[in-house]
Amino acid sequence: MFSRSHTRRPRKYAFAALVVAASVGLVLSSCAAPSSDAPVAEELSWSEIEQQAQGKTVSLWMYGGDEQGNTYVDNVLTPAAAAAGVTLRRVPVESTTDAVNRILSERQAGVTDGEVDLVWVNGANFGTGQQAGAWLCNWTQHLPNMEYTDPEDPLLSSDFGTPVNNCEAPWHKAQFTLVYNSAAIADPPRTLDEVFDWAEANPGRFTYPAPPDFTGSVFVREALVNQSGGVDKVPAQFDQDTYDSLAPAVFDRLNALAPSLWRGGTTYPQSSSELDDLYAGGQVDMTMTYGPATLPQLVADGTYPPETRILTLDEGTVGNASFLAIPSTSGESAAAQVVANIALSPEQQLAKSEPDVWGQFTVLDTSRLTPEVRAQFEALPASPVLPPYEELSANAHPELAAGWVTPLDEGWRRSVLAGQ
Amino acid sequence: MSQRKVRSTLWVLPAVIPVLLVVGGGLGAALLQSLGLMPLVGRPALTLDAYSALGGDLWSSLALTLAVATVSTLLATFIGLAAASTVLSGNRTVLIAAALTLAVPHLIGAAAMGLLLADSGLLPRVFGLTDGGWSELVGGRWWIAVALEYAWKESAFVAIVVAGTLATRVAGFDETAATLGAGRWARFRLVTLPLLRPALAASAAITFTYTVGSYEVARILGRPYPEPLSVMAIRLFTSIDLAARPQAAAAAMVAAALAIVVAAVALNYLRRSAVWK
Repeated sequence: MFSRSHTRRPRKYAFAALVVAASVGLVLSSCAAPSSDAPVAEELSWSEIEQQAQGKTVSLWMYGGDEQGNTYVDNVLTPAAAAAGVTLRRVPVESTTDAVNRILSERQAGVTDGEVDLVWVNGANFGTGQQAGAWLCNWTQHLPNMEYTDPEDPLLSSDFGTPVNNCEAPWHKAQFTLVYNSAAIADPPRTLDEVFDWAEANPGRFTYPAPPDFTGSVFVREALVNQSGGVDKVPAQFDQDTYDSLAPAVFDRLNALAPSLWRGGTTYPQSSSELDDLYAGGQVDMTMTYGPATLPQLVADGTYPPETRILTLDEGTVGNASFLAIPSTSGESAAAQVVANIALSPEQQLAKSEPDVWGQFTVLDTSRLTPEVRAQFEALPASPVLPPYEELSANAHPELAAGWVTPLDEGWRRSVLAGQ
Repeated sequence: MSQRKVRSTLWVLPAVIPVLLVVGGGLGAALLQSLGLMPLVGRPALTLDAYSALGGDLWSSLALTLAVATVSTLLATFIGLAAASTVLSGNRTVLIAAALTLAVPHLIGAAAMGLLLADSGLLPRVFGLTDGGWSELVGGRWWIAVALEYAWKESAFVAIVVAGTLATRVAGFDETAATLGAGRWARFRLVTLPLLRPALAASAAITFTYTVGSYEVARILGRPYPEPLSVMAIRLFTSIDLAARPQAAAAAMVAAALAIVVAAVALNYLRRSAVWK
């Protein structure tokens, strides 16, 4: 190998670097964790909150990769906030985790006037923040526009198994949907079992993305609900015994299905966009998405076949809502509450539902709205591709707790992917 | 230490210190994480659990990484050598093409390969094979598209390095041998190749270590199982389960060890070769 004179010096530096790295690591890991108690909003009347909000600036941190969403916030929501005396500043982030990490470090540093005033969040990010007391709580019940939401709506009271507890205000809903090419499938399946049967009768025309891809992961959870005999049979919270009794049946079913899948199930698309490409290229006859609002556009620009339709399942699919949360480190919580309230107003929810604005499903219960506004919601342009949300979300069930995700993903990887 | 030695040491320090700090710091942190000494949650404790948790997957990933890197490096070296040899005849076209290829990022190259070779890509459309009959180049069992992408991009790099050597003294030796009556093949075997060997070894070693560490090409053109070490490391690193971080560091450490061993062997070979001095 090397002669000795050449190694001595580098080795000394490498050792020094190791010591530096180790000490940095130890300092980082020995930081005292802040308390995980969620701070509670001050008890103020709504008019006091509106007064406090005057002239303030609210930084809304949100995923910046959705052009329609960015345009909606800039051109529709921001002017409405300005009319209420609040300046809204949109901060695009690559992933919501960036915002959560920022809030967690601000909390560690004891910041009370942090950079983040409002976050578009749901699921694991909300749950992670809740564990660390990152969200301001006990404020959404005061928002005047909450009266238009259904207090019994399970999608709004529990976020991927984490109780919402008035710590985040609902913003819009999403629905997991299967999508198919009606030119290739004349008589579409009506249940997930029938989808499996159809796939077995038509080898190579169906597949799903490999978890941990978000969409593939949802599909495996749908299969879990299906194989367990319905959503009531799977407890929302994870526990190992339930997993051990329920999971093997799912993996057996998916293993039995595998030989009929694209490429004989020896491999899977690595991401939902890879599956979308297969569908767009006519390699398979079905795809799946958590954001069906984009479908009319994909059909219109010729990416997807013109006969693309949505497959509604009799037993329903997973739905979820996404929310606006106020960090406990924000110094502008009053102004942030005003913005969250405006975002929840029937006017904003209606504008946001327009397919050419953002096409996001409303969180409001339209039966609680005035007849005029309800008529406007019903008059939203219908698309042959995309049925209205009522039809899409029939029998929708809420997401399982985030605790289910990793065990199922890993179990699928070991039992189905590596088993082929 | 002589005056000259001190001065030469000082000259290299600006280059060496940042490298050692960044690489050493990164590798050090990863090593500590993989050994359970830098946990995100819980107390630090020395353990090899992260390595054993990966189990058999670690071996299949290591084998796959080695295979892809070896095939890609061999292809890139041969193609690069053949391309650079055109310089001797005074033709510059290949070198211009290589220079243009070098400017393309691997991410773009991989996406382009995907658009070209996937089942519904450009080539199967041209040949009318989108409904079957097209080989599984992308995401297939043999990782063909991945090896092709590396071979194409890295052969350009090899060609530029080798052409630089050819342009210096090889041409003179080559002409001398020709006037002495050596045929084309004899000149290549006895003159050109021995003089090019160090440049070839260096560029092949760089290509190999790059391929071992690269993530995006395998992620875009590969398949989810088995996965190369770099893909495994990033998948575990971005897992929503924080307990998977040490395993991510373990996969990264194995890839780093592989790259370091190959680099050391190559450097050792180069130091011994007469041309290097």
